[in-house]
Amino acid sequence: MISSTSKNTGFWASKKRQEKIISLILFIIAWAGAFIFVVPLVWMITTSLKTPTEIFTIPPKWIPVSYIQLDYETKLIAKASGKIQISKGEEGSRILDIIKDGKIASSVVVPAVGSLLIKNKQTVKAGEVVAELPTTGITKIIKNNDGTLILKIVSKAGFTIQEYNLPRGTKLKVMEGEQVRVGQQLATILPQWRNYIEAWAPKALNETFNTYLLNTCIITFFAILGVVLSSTFVAYGFARFRFPFRDPLFLLMISTMMIPVQVTMIPTFILFKYLGWIDTFAPLIVPTFFGGGAFNIFLVRQFFMTIPYELDDAAKIDGCNYFQILYIILLPLVKPALITIAIFGFVYNWNDFLNPLIYLNSSSKYTLALGLQTFTTMYGSYYHLMMAASTIVLLPVLIIFFLGQRYFIEGVATSGLKG
Amino acid sequence: MEGTSQKLKKPLMKMSTHEAIWGYVFLSPWILGMIFFIGGPIIASLILAFCRWDLITPPEFIGLDNFIKIVGDPKFWKSLYNTFYYTIFAVPIGIVGSIIVALLMNQKWKSVRLLRTIYYLPSVTAGVASAIIWMWLFNPDFGLINYFMGKIGIKGPLWLASEEWSKPALIIMSLWGVGGNMIIYLAGLQGISRQLYEAAEIDGASIWEKFWNITLPMLSPVIFFNLIMSIVWSFQIFTQVYVMTQGQGGPADSTLVLVLYIYQKAFKFHQMGYASALAWVLFVIILIATLIQFRFSKWVYYEGELKK
Repeated sequence: MISSTSKNTGFWASKKRQEKIISLILFIIAWAGAFIFVVPLVWMITTSLKTPTEIFTIPPKWIPVSYIQLDYETKLIAKASGKIQISKGEEGSRILDIIKDGKIASSVVVPAVGSLLIKNKQTVKAGEVVAELPTTGITKIIKNNDGTLILKIVSKAGFTIQEYNLPRGTKLKVMEGEQVRVGQQLATILPQWRNYIEAWAPKALNETFNTYLLNTCIITFFAILGVVLSSTFVAYGFARFRFPFRDPLFLLMISTMMIPVQVTMIPTFILFKYLGWIDTFAPLIVPTFFGGGAFNIFLVRQFFMTIPYELDDAAKIDGCNYFQILYIILLPLVKPALITIAIFGFVYNWNDFLNPLIYLNSSSKYTLALGLQTFTTMYGSYYHLMMAASTIVLLPVLIIFFLGQRYFIEGVATSGLKG
Repeated sequence: MEGTSQKLKKPLMKMSTHEAIWGYVFLSPWILGMIFFIGGPIIASLILAFCRWDLITPPEFIGLDNFIKIVGDPKFWKSLYNTFYYTIFAVPIGIVGSIIVALLMNQKWKSVRLLRTIYYLPSVTAGVASAIIWMWLFNPDFGLINYFMGKIGIKGPLWLASEEWSKPALIIMSLWGVGGNMIIYLAGLQGISRQLYEAAEIDGASIWEKFWNITLPMLSPVIFFNLIMSIVWSFQIFTQVYVMTQGQGGPADSTLVLVLYIYQKAFKFHQMGYASALAWVLFVIILIATLIQFRFSKWVYYEGELKK
């Protein structure tokens, strides 16, 4: 302890210690960043489980559970000094106007259940209690036609003190006719899993997410098939054969990655229009069988390059033709690359928006991405439902991601993008 | 690509025609795709750029009219400005951000795998759903972003509802996706030989010197590749903008990016010729941007060059 101050320079001079401290700081920064990165997704799920009223609260609620407490001011206070003038209000309430210099300086509305503590024409001071509300009441539960409940707290005389509209998925903590007091907890609003049912079959849309999901699955399945089959084929050609213009063609293929899709989009659209393929899945599937994309070919080709030629030669001597070499000998060896491009293909097609937007017109053909976009135009402020719908769309991607994590990371690494 | 050059050392004449034919057989899907879905459409689009065509009446050759119209089209200049604005901020911030994250993810912590997953995750959720999540985060009254800004005493802007802040909002959102590039840099970092660092340590190099003299030069080919591709991609920003503005590019055209404008012209107003001309302008801009980068690529250090 004593030497710690004198050895301060020594403390920092130790390289190991210095590195340890820096590492700790970086560790904290990394986790803080990770926390920020994960917040949007957590917030999506939280919001998707809330009631409409829970969404619009400040501060934001992180846990989609809220408690209903009997809570109201039991003592009504005059906000100004002056002379009281009592008049009748609606539903048995009374209005106390405080008159000062001939003008109404402030008013207090006393509901029917309240009892006045002052008389008409009496002078009050600001801060004085002018009326009291009962601190206890009796519960009354009313069932709505849609299955939701209304919880009323009434006074002994039968006047309503408070009224709560309870959403579905509420756990009541009181029984019918029970006496409750101010501050007591009446009910818990639980996570609203129903939001998912509502988002899955939105009333404002013609289709349910069943349709979108099925369409997306069909398109994604065939698109992945096309990508995997044709990019394996082409990559094999580039990796294992010698022929004129191979390297210029390979360079040409790589450089197509830099062509913006918008340049080819319009003529391709016209081509498909002439073929009568608009509003079918064909424009989204057929092109994948023609090469499968430069990036995928590149990735599989890089993988083929790591496999020794001796294997091919041995197979050739055994009488295998090129197809047999590819499918029997090489394919099992490039399996990780194929899984990688399949996963990338899944994510790409699942999330793709521009192509379905251009080619699919009728809502029965929509993919999840298109359906979700249509959903937001109809439910623009229903954030709980929008988040539920987004979660539905993202869930399969997240599952695939966690199952295939390794392939994402290795896929990028092995493609050797340095080349 | 290194592998191919060795193979080609054999003179072309010696290649067996049998092998060559089979090579082309295996390439055929790609060659057909190249003709029908890339090469053909590119030529067709170039021809269309000099035509007027509404898809109903036959196309009509109008020379340079489309391009002359583009020069005088304020919406084109607005969309070009918006696209440049987005690119100029999103690309450098994204690259620096993803390098920083990659450096952090290259540490030897036990939890580093989990961290990588967390950082990478948002880049697979890119699309309509994440645009919707960010619309909610950017909500001026009840969004998380303005809530946290309020906490530190800043009154948050209207974000997507504001002409001034809609583009910064898109840029902030793009940062959520740095994980995709992070993985590329991480792969690059892991390819750097430990010996280089050990040698530098013997010479007494500080962490900063090691980063500046080893990490960055060794990473520069990856950065170069990534810079080119990031610019190509950011010029093509579309989905987020379409979803967040219901295809309008508002408010007051402040998020009308070039691709959205092309989409509107082609598929809303059926001006196929004009849209093709716009697409070609986009193409040429990307091409020029790429060529400029190659021209000024002296900063890129290729390890192989030294070995020769």
